[in-house]
Amino acid sequence: VAGPGETSTLMALRDPDIRLMLRVRDADDAQAFAELVERYQHRLVAVLHHLLGGGPDAEDLAQEVFLRVYRTRQRYHPTAKFSTWLFTIANHLALNALRGRQRRPVVPLPTQESGPLGPRPAEQLVHARTEAPGHHLQQQELADLIRQALDGLNERQRMAVVLNKFEDMGYAEIAEVMGLTTKAVKSLLSRARGRLREALEPYIYMDGTPPHVADEDAEALPSVPTPPDAVT
Amino acid sequence: MNTEPLNPQPADDPPLDELVAYLDGELDELQTEAVEARISLNPSVRREAESLRKTWDLLDYLPRPQTSGDFTNRTLSRLDLAELSRSAPRRVPGRRWLGTVLIVAASVAALVLAGLAGYAGRALLVPAKPAAPPVTPDEEAQLLADLRVIDNLREYQQVEEIGYLRGLAEPDLFGDGEGR
Repeated sequence: VAGPGETSTLMALRDPDIRLMLRVRDADDAQAFAELVERYQHRLVAVLHHLLGGGPDAEDLAQEVFLRVYRTRQRYHPTAKFSTWLFTIANHLALNALRGRQRRPVVPLPTQESGPLGPRPAEQLVHARTEAPGHHLQQQELADLIRQALDGLNERQRMAVVLNKFEDMGYAEIAEVMGLTTKAVKSLLSRARGRLREALEPYIYMDGTPPHVADEDAEALPSVPTPPDAVT
Repeated sequence: MNTEPLNPQPADDPPLDELVAYLDGELDELQTEAVEARISLNPSVRREAESLRKTWDLLDYLPRPQTSGDFTNRTLSRLDLAELSRSAPRRVPGRRWLGTVLIVAASVAALVLAGLAGYAGRALLVPAKPAAPPVTPDEEAQLLADLRVIDNLREYQQVEEIGYLRGLAEPDLFGDGEGR
């Protein structure tokens, strides 16, 4: 965010993305727009993918976000990073898409003991707690459980988590993207992380280190192994 | 960033949001020191902070999708289509019938013109058949002499030789001669 007295010209000179966006705004520069799409597509699709719960909708919605960026280019003012503006639009469209999904009629599935959609994430986790903490799950199974835990958050918690975790945004920037106060974001994230911990607790010591060892020497705990496909 | 003072009592557990904000690096220097002091003194706080950190690290196991290779081109194509459709002139709904009538009338006129042009072209390009020359008296006598042949030409074409036809004309063959 621009500091007091800092002109948009100075910000634009420092931020190449803002320079590109100003070319789009002032000259309808298609090449500059294409470069912005090229630069941000992977980040945007990843955020929307985590937010929407996977599936092909993420790319479609990402395209919609870029189209909205172009159509509203005349309203762009370089008072913040380009990414903040981009994710503000993404947040708006994604929340609309999620609410649209909720309004759609649900296709009935064969009834099971735990409801029409099978065992709920919490039930699965309760079942999993009976297994040894060191149970070796395949990475895909673990990813599915984490996915379910993330889906268990409400939309705003999930958005805050995704922006914080995968976009490395601070509380102030998340607040700007989501139209909240910094204090509200702090509260949102603490509740979200509390719920995630509750859902994923059986899996956080899968490396074999029992939780009680943490009492003795937290720094001696081996860290969770870095997933081979994790992108930083 | 956060200016809310922490409880100065070291024995108290910091609230969850303070602990999370500490892990996120969102506390100022004083608040950070206060939380670190509690973590070092209180095993349960340390355990809680550790479990929060490890839970957060688990999210790294989520797959990171990549866009398909032609994402940029597809996006620009959608933009072209969208902009074209927005800039295209819109029809006035009440006058839509007028356009339809004009199109039909133009089609009919084109068909009529094409028909006339075809007729005129054919008359010009294809020569008229010449009139048949008058028949001379000799030719007329010859046609009369051959009249029976001309009348039975189709039957004659069915046989290979005249002797066969003459045989058919023999009265003995079919029993309608004088001997019966």
